[in-house]
Amino acid sequence: MSEKILEIKDLVVHFETDDGCVKAINGLTLSVGKEKTLGLVGETGAGKTTTALSILNLVPSPPGVIKGGSIELDGKDVLQMSDKELEHMRGNDVAMIFQDPMTALNPVLTVGEQIAESIMLHEHISMKDAFERAKEMLKMVGIAESRAYDYPHQFSGGMRQRVVIAIALACQPNFLIADEPTTALDVTIQAQVLDLMKELIEKNHMSMLLITHDLGVVAEVCNDVAVMYAGRIVEIGSTEEVFNSTRHPYTEGLFDSLPNLKEQGEELVPIKGMMPDPMRLPEGCTFAPRCPYATEACTQTVPELRKMGGTHFVACHAYDDPSFRLRRNANG
Amino acid sequence: MAEKKIILEVQNLTKYFDTPKGKLHAVDGVNFQIEEGKTLGIVGESGCGKSTTGRTLLKLLEPTAGTILFNGEDITHYSRARMRKMRTQMQMIFQDPFSSLDPRQSIMQLISEPIKEHKLLKSKAEIEKRTLELMDIVGLARRFVNSYPHELDGGRRQRIGIARALAVNPKLIVCDEPVSALDVSIQAQILNLLKQLQRDMGLTYIFITHDLSVVKYFADDIAVMYLGQMVEKAPSAEIFEKPTHPYTQALLSAIPIPVVGKDKPPRKLLRGEITSPVNLPDQCRFLKRCDACQQCCQDGPNPQLVEISPNHFVACHIAK
Repeated sequence: MSEKILEIKDLVVHFETDDGCVKAINGLTLSVGKEKTLGLVGETGAGKTTTALSILNLVPSPPGVIKGGSIELDGKDVLQMSDKELEHMRGNDVAMIFQDPMTALNPVLTVGEQIAESIMLHEHISMKDAFERAKEMLKMVGIAESRAYDYPHQFSGGMRQRVVIAIALACQPNFLIADEPTTALDVTIQAQVLDLMKELIEKNHMSMLLITHDLGVVAEVCNDVAVMYAGRIVEIGSTEEVFNSTRHPYTEGLFDSLPNLKEQGEELVPIKGMMPDPMRLPEGCTFAPRCPYATEACTQTVPELRKMGGTHFVACHAYDDPSFRLRRNANG
Repeated sequence: MAEKKIILEVQNLTKYFDTPKGKLHAVDGVNFQIEEGKTLGIVGESGCGKSTTGRTLLKLLEPTAGTILFNGEDITHYSRARMRKMRTQMQMIFQDPFSSLDPRQSIMQLISEPIKEHKLLKSKAEIEKRTLELMDIVGLARRFVNSYPHELDGGRRQRIGIARALAVNPKLIVCDEPVSALDVSIQAQILNLLKQLQRDMGLTYIFITHDLSVVKYFADDIAVMYLGQMVEKAPSAEIFEKPTHPYTQALLSAIPIPVVGKDKPPRKLLRGEITSPVNLPDQCRFLKRCDACQQCCQDGPNPQLVEISPNHFVACHIAK
């Protein structure tokens, strides 16, 4: 059995605003195995990015309040760490890649300086040595060393994201959080960047939490996948389990909404309605109002994750009835 | 069967922008025609000229050269005033419903604006009735009639954009990445809506997108653009079954497929990035990224679209 690098248990994060309490994360439990990549999937507002920020204890406070739960990173609880420990942990142990590489980079520093800066922050070496290391990092992500003297605006979107990856990996963290790293890129460039990330993760024996809304990206890159809805995990398991024997009605809805699985002309089956307002979450299962299988019981209590075999867990009341099957799985 | 009617024909459409570094070839000699009631998908990556094509053929940008025939009428050199009248027949839906709507106007004002602008209806009561009708058509609940755009989510905002386009009873709508800013489940709702409107009203669409999977679901014909030119054009099914241009092949292969464990075709990675569209030489534009490239490609000239099988056009020296 592989060990866990990250274990989140019953995490609750709320944003207390003047207008009311935004319940972003409501009892989230997930774990990432060592040298594994977990894909975290969900729509806008599901709480994916808040989850990522919680792991680094970077939830903006106020208004963000971590109400409860624990986040263990390599056995240490992030929520109990002192500021000094946190600072050491960020960058050295965990690094994060953001969606938009243009806003993540400093426009007035050369990319070499920016990579060197993060190395110097964590290791006491001279600027000269750090800059040499920066050049090596650039080479590693497929950019010519000579471009270390260029500024971010001189790079294309794909190249900028490579620079951001170089910065993230500069201090050899063993855990990487990537928040929609390829969403802003064209498909052919996305394919290049995903391949690069996959290769670097394997070569450096790292683990990764990949946040995305694209199930295609998950299938390409991830070992495991967790599907998130209104601040909770509704289904988690290996990609094989979740893709090929989908259990949760929401996951099924996501697959049905995708145009590329369908033949031309067939109607898409969108999930009806919209994500609930996190200030006014419905009672019971938060997906019940949109769920085609919902029953009376679903509006009463929040379903807990239950084991469906192997590493596959699902939070759905429908499985109280052991003969329940989703339509997707009905004919084999 | 009624005879096929060509609603829009574009010949040698060209749009250059002057930049300090030279001529930027945004759209370079594009030809196509669309039958009434059909959908043409224009696909390509950032900077390939797909949006400029859409804007130029509605004359939101003046073409540098070429001819635009709408219902057989040459509109290329129409004045602004004459184009204004044409706009009741050709409309556009934009990508970002957040920035294409005036935040200070209510939904009622936003949707009725084109009706008033083109003086389609006179009395206030008629305009209101039509606005509510349009809201029903695009599936916006009537209770939102006095709301403002910021109170609505992206999917609903896009529905307002669609209602505004429909308000003047157009024949042709250019949809510029209409679902790219939306979540998948909402995206599916909007795509279904657009498709249903096409069935009900016989609309013709030009569907501009970077997402091949969306056009597969949607388009009758697909044109793939690269650096201002169409490199391949064919019926939708044909493009997916027999992609012939090396760029189309790479583009198809780069889409991450949400399938696990079943036999997937190997990925074909494209090297490098799109080259600068400024001062292009007379050579194949895909040359530097192409694996199939041979001496004849190096020697030029820039290949033009050639019909390799009925209705399947490819611009490639090798794929002929």
